[in-house]
Amino acid sequence: MTRTFTLPAGSGRFLAFLLLVVLVAMAFTLAEPRFLSTQNMSAVTRHMAANGLAALGLTFVVIVRKFDLSFAGTACFAAMTIGYLIALGQPLWIAIPAGIVVGAAIGAFNGVVISYFRFPDIVTTIATGSIAAGLAFVYSNGRTIFQNFMSSGILDLNDARVFGYSLSFVFLLGLYAVAWFFMHRTRYGASFYATGENPVAAYYSGVPTRLYTMLAFVACGVTCVFAVLLILAESGTADTNEGANLLMPAYAGVFLGTALLGRTSVMATLAGTFLITMLLDGFSLLGIPFYYSDGVVSAILLAGVVFFDARLREFLSDIGSFLQPASVKKEKRS
Amino acid sequence: MTDAIAHRSVARLDTQKPKNGLVSRYWLLATLVFMVAVFAFLRPQLVDSSNIATILRSSALTAIMILGLTWVIAAGKIDVSFMHVAALGNMTTAYLLASGHGWLVAGLAGVSVGAIAGLFNGLLVAVMRLQPLIVTIATGGICASIAAALGKGTSIRIADPGPLGDFIFTNIGPVPVIAIAVAVLYALSWYAQEKLTFGHYIFATAQSEAAVDQAGVSVRNLLMLLFVFSGVMSALTGVLLAASLSSGQPMIGSSYFIDGLTAVLLGGMMLRIGKPNVLGTTTAILILAVLVSGSALLGWADYQRQIIKGILLLIGVTVAMRAVNGRQSQHPEAS
Repeated sequence: MTRTFTLPAGSGRFLAFLLLVVLVAMAFTLAEPRFLSTQNMSAVTRHMAANGLAALGLTFVVIVRKFDLSFAGTACFAAMTIGYLIALGQPLWIAIPAGIVVGAAIGAFNGVVISYFRFPDIVTTIATGSIAAGLAFVYSNGRTIFQNFMSSGILDLNDARVFGYSLSFVFLLGLYAVAWFFMHRTRYGASFYATGENPVAAYYSGVPTRLYTMLAFVACGVTCVFAVLLILAESGTADTNEGANLLMPAYAGVFLGTALLGRTSVMATLAGTFLITMLLDGFSLLGIPFYYSDGVVSAILLAGVVFFDARLREFLSDIGSFLQPASVKKEKRS
Repeated sequence: MTDAIAHRSVARLDTQKPKNGLVSRYWLLATLVFMVAVFAFLRPQLVDSSNIATILRSSALTAIMILGLTWVIAAGKIDVSFMHVAALGNMTTAYLLASGHGWLVAGLAGVSVGAIAGLFNGLLVAVMRLQPLIVTIATGGICASIAAALGKGTSIRIADPGPLGDFIFTNIGPVPVIAIAVAVLYALSWYAQEKLTFGHYIFATAQSEAAVDQAGVSVRNLLMLLFVFSGVMSALTGVLLAASLSSGQPMIGSSYFIDGLTAVLLGGMMLRIGKPNVLGTTTAILILAVLVSGSALLGWADYQRQIIKGILLLIGVTVAMRAVNGRQSQHPEAS
């Protein structure tokens, strides 16, 4: 009776992830003692908020086994919409929902043509993303919008603090908590997974698979607006390429998380985004030039996808089994 | 023996293909003619010999870059790293020229960097069977970073465009020499795609990789070849752009991303409906180049062009979806 209790499934991977985080944090702290300062930690949490929000919506799309390449363009268009309304003197409670409606509308368009009309996802979202990025120029002919930003109160979103953490980070955690409950504790979440795993079986089990695919794209459109809203609040201006940098970290967060924790889930995305933000922040503290940041994210993503690939792990465990002492019987687990 | 089997199966597929009308097979060509006519009517400068030379020259460069991409997408995979590979080839060449090497060394180094990037993509996609979109997003990001790092984040000036510069800017009548070279290249590619088993294997791979493997053709080697070819062609364009612009531009890739994919996917809506092919790609590149030139003459802004390109791509997808109505829809990720 050596095993009196068993850990919940997947906790081994989770512990491995925590170990990785601790190792990375130790490495950075050795190289640069400022890494663990409260100032830097609050910067990490704030940077994480925008990337994490964009990655959350993408998680839904990836769970239904589709891709969305349009959300960067959507974010640009929504950012300019919000900026334009603020510059016109509209209050925030009109400007922000208008931006969200823009994001939801583009997401709904993607979702309808991809799920109901069976358009190919990659091509369609490249096209809509390109159109949305072009539409971002319509309001101001491409000029940066900054009028009324100081007086509108949007900057408070960036400066506000709750329990010592920035509001954006609390918002991120809150939204992830809601998404986690929805995806992993309700039957609706199970339906999302079923739609991705086997749409035919899901359909005959009574899941409206097309509706779920569509909703995933709407969610992606909405969360990228949340993400770009935080960027707007931080920069205090609306620029036409405000959301262009969201694409890479979002994909990296989702797929690194999937690689780390074994399957695409809300928690996996949070873990992936956290690790990437920490690494990016650490590298920028060490004074590594800006143009390496995309390369760093890409390399981490690639390393995660390759090293956590099931076939490679199987291969390594096969190699490992050759190295066992011949007298000891080892039960092989797949 | 295996060849005979492959031939027969392809032949049977061809006879089963639904008879797409002339309209859906050649609508893209008609669009090109229509666009040239409309723009030439509104702004006769469009058909000036110097403007035609400019259109053909820029089309030729794009055409080299996305020839490999056409076949990668035709084989049911996707490569979104091509424009960053071009930027890397471009910056490698510029960097080596700036540090005192000759054009031969710099150009060859630029092309081989593309081969390495393609080999890397091929290893990850064909051998390790990872998702091509994720892999090429990542390798593209790495290439873009290295390209920017070579120039410390800015562009590198090239003092002497060298023999390649002369080659690019030489015209025979209104037609640039490079356009003729690209036309020959595309004719050869068309022959390889339509008349050799090579092309049949590419389209068969998109249908069913297992079936191609069972027929005795290594899908792994084929995909490897296609990704390396795509990398080499992209990097070659990067080298040519270095000569053409007299500089290395680390951000040169981003402008080709939407154009390249739009051209390949729009091209896939012509002749072989739903399947990217070299003749379709050529037509689509010319459409985009005429659009850019014509709209510049009309004084349209860059973003208006971008919106039109996006709408063109959507229309193309819609036409293809109508043409294959009833058939199982395929998209590059259905592997």
